[in-house]
Amino acid sequence: MANPAPLLKVKDVTKSFFEDGKEFKILELVRFELAEHDFVCVVGPSGSGKSTLLRILVGLEKPTSGEVLFEGQPIRADNPQVAMVFQSFALFPWLTVTQNVELGLEAQNVPVADRQARARRFIDAVGLTGFENAFPRELSGGMKQRVGIARALAIEPLLLCMDEPFSSLDPLTAQNLRDEILQLWSDPNLPPKAVLMVTHSIEEAVYLADRIIVLSSRPGRMVAELVIDLPRPRNRKEPEFYGWVDEIYSLIV
Amino acid sequence: MMRGRRRALRFVAGILVLVGIVAAIASPQAALNALQLPLLALFSTSRMVAAYLIGLVFAIAYGHTAATSRRAALIMLPILDVLQSIPILAFFPAALLFFVVTFQGSPVGIEIAVVFLIFTSMAWNMAFGVYESLTTIPQDLEAAASSFGLTKWLRFRLLEFPAAVPKLVYNSILSWTNGWFFLVASEVFQVGSSKFARPGLGAFIADAGRNGDVASIAIGLAVLAAVVLALDFFVWRPLSVWSERFRMDTASGRELAKVPRYEPFRWMPRFPGVRRTILARARPATQAYHKASVRLDRAYASHPKVVRDVRVVDLGLFIIVLLLVVTTGLLGLAQLFLRPLPPEAAGLPLAALLSFARLLVAYGIALAWTIPVAVILGESERASRFLTPALEIFASLPATALLPVILGFSLAVVASTDGAAQLAAILIALFSMQWYLLFNLVAGVRSIPQDLREAARSFGLRGRAYWRRLLLPAMTPSLLTGSITAWGAGWNALIVSEYIQYAQKPYSVVGLGSLINEAVLVTGDTEVLLLTILTMIVVVLAMNKLLWRPLFKRATIRYRLEV
Repeated sequence: MANPAPLLKVKDVTKSFFEDGKEFKILELVRFELAEHDFVCVVGPSGSGKSTLLRILVGLEKPTSGEVLFEGQPIRADNPQVAMVFQSFALFPWLTVTQNVELGLEAQNVPVADRQARARRFIDAVGLTGFENAFPRELSGGMKQRVGIARALAIEPLLLCMDEPFSSLDPLTAQNLRDEILQLWSDPNLPPKAVLMVTHSIEEAVYLADRIIVLSSRPGRMVAELVIDLPRPRNRKEPEFYGWVDEIYSLIV
Repeated sequence: MMRGRRRALRFVAGILVLVGIVAAIASPQAALNALQLPLLALFSTSRMVAAYLIGLVFAIAYGHTAATSRRAALIMLPILDVLQSIPILAFFPAALLFFVVTFQGSPVGIEIAVVFLIFTSMAWNMAFGVYESLTTIPQDLEAAASSFGLTKWLRFRLLEFPAAVPKLVYNSILSWTNGWFFLVASEVFQVGSSKFARPGLGAFIADAGRNGDVASIAIGLAVLAAVVLALDFFVWRPLSVWSERFRMDTASGRELAKVPRYEPFRWMPRFPGVRRTILARARPATQAYHKASVRLDRAYASHPKVVRDVRVVDLGLFIIVLLLVVTTGLLGLAQLFLRPLPPEAAGLPLAALLSFARLLVAYGIALAWTIPVAVILGESERASRFLTPALEIFASLPATALLPVILGFSLAVVASTDGAAQLAAILIALFSMQWYLLFNLVAGVRSIPQDLREAARSFGLRGRAYWRRLLLPAMTPSLLTGSITAWGAGWNALIVSEYIQYAQKPYSVVGLGSLINEAVLVTGDTEVLLLTILTMIVVVLAMNKLLWRPLFKRATIRYRLEV
């Protein structure tokens, strides 16, 4: 595999917090790289610090030691090339769908006309046409997460980071959205170039990722980095699929 | 709800007309006096608006600073806590003298003193509201704002201010209730032999009371109630509906789906033309505002050092002022206690005990009627429709405005002058306390989820068991919230309730409130005044720290209904 310059470089990230003078390690020496066109999933049991890792990777938190480089520069939370999708959707309840999607564009001072056009394009892309002026509370969970995804895509990021984006949705909706994310990722005309996703569902990781990083729990250490070379679209019923799931399962337990 | 409200408004208008006719027949002079009432109402309302706007700006600045800087919060929150719980009214004579002297007796000084007093009754709870809202913004929402690059001003406009709106509106309504109480108390004030008065509704009622002019009292009260209710109907109700839009929907979607969609000026259905014009006129303004805010944000973002410096200077100034206040306060205290205590100091414990006993009796009466009535109002939609408007009309009248009525009533019921003064003091405390209890309790009963009611019914809980297992536990948190607010109002009421001037005669009972009044009005003894205020503050703070706070903490852990 020809290896282009990495988009994201995670160098020996360690995170601990201190309580009553005692040190609690959450993450220990996590290191990996992510290039364009990668779809990487981080899996681990609860307590493995997955969400903390993601918050560090997008610059929302500082690691205790180690560093995160994006295109060779230390990552910053407001980097417009990185967008984030949240488990809880994190939509602003007082803004309409369009206003939520325009959020990042407004912060970047994109002119109004351009902003509206881009918002419309991504609202269409996630299939929410007709709901532009609805408020988040009027939408179902699946629709809310579509808004979350459109909001992330609207800033046309190189890297899309997702923190358990489907775990508060019902299984059917979640499966639909997974396929849509795959489609967006493989479409060369649409962002993002690369996806980094945190999940506790091993099946979901094997279904989506071409690389899986497995974390242990307390503290989160990298147990394995696996390349999933199954052809797409993947079929959960195939024995190879289940082989991967079982292998990761045995790594975690 | 809307229909009930309309009925209430019509009801008030009816009463107003009736009172006017009766009063005009009974006393033509009173009717003549009443002609100036619209203007007086305007004056009073302007004072309230001025105090409120200052309070709002203060609350946002103070709450925002405390919420965003942990170090600042360390000193800012305890200060706010003390300011919120001490009876501010006790300080008014001192504040009034300060402003009057500063402005050399000009009316401007008195106006500023009045607005300042109202401000002190409005600002603290709003500041707490802002602080609480900002510190409870969900972590993910903060993270989303950061990762999408929302900085200073844009962050305030899109995230922080909207997040604070529900609590700001809720607390604004509370602040206005407090404000009316203080406005009426402060428009006429006597210090020693000099009387300070500014034209307004409060002064009108107080004057009528002093002269024993019953017709004018009635007219004044009717106008005051009409103003309060009209503001409630045309300003606070629409704002409450609007603020629902800014609630975080962390709960399940079921109740939230019912949140009404807000349309600007929907409450003016009779005037579609007016509404359209206002909206059309406002559009260029809102667009200009958007453009300006983007520019401001860019300016912020490009000068992070300046922004930081301004903040540091702000904080520095705040600390300097604080130090000044604290040192002068400590010096004053030292002076007070270094000299031998005045003989009146020996009477302070008894006065405190009697004042407390009066508040306790009033609180007991308030509990006895508000709990059952709250259950009726909360459980029965029909009872609520008929009773709520009437109750709200009574509640709209600040207890300070009712002074002459209550004293007149007490004199008619009790033969002895002293007994009447005692009864009046308790009744005024009751009127200051009971509404906070009632409306909090109703909200508590309404917040019981339908599931729990149905579960109780399906297991056959009835009568005493229903009260003991469902109603009372579910009401506990709101009972405590209401009690804390009610006692705060009660301590303030002491200042006006224990020493009343009615028909040219003072009526007073032994207590902290009357000691303060006598020190201000009769003896002019600042030492006794300060000692009394100090005693009151110690008692109030002790009650808050030792009784209410721990109770509230336990109740919210055990009886909270949200899961």
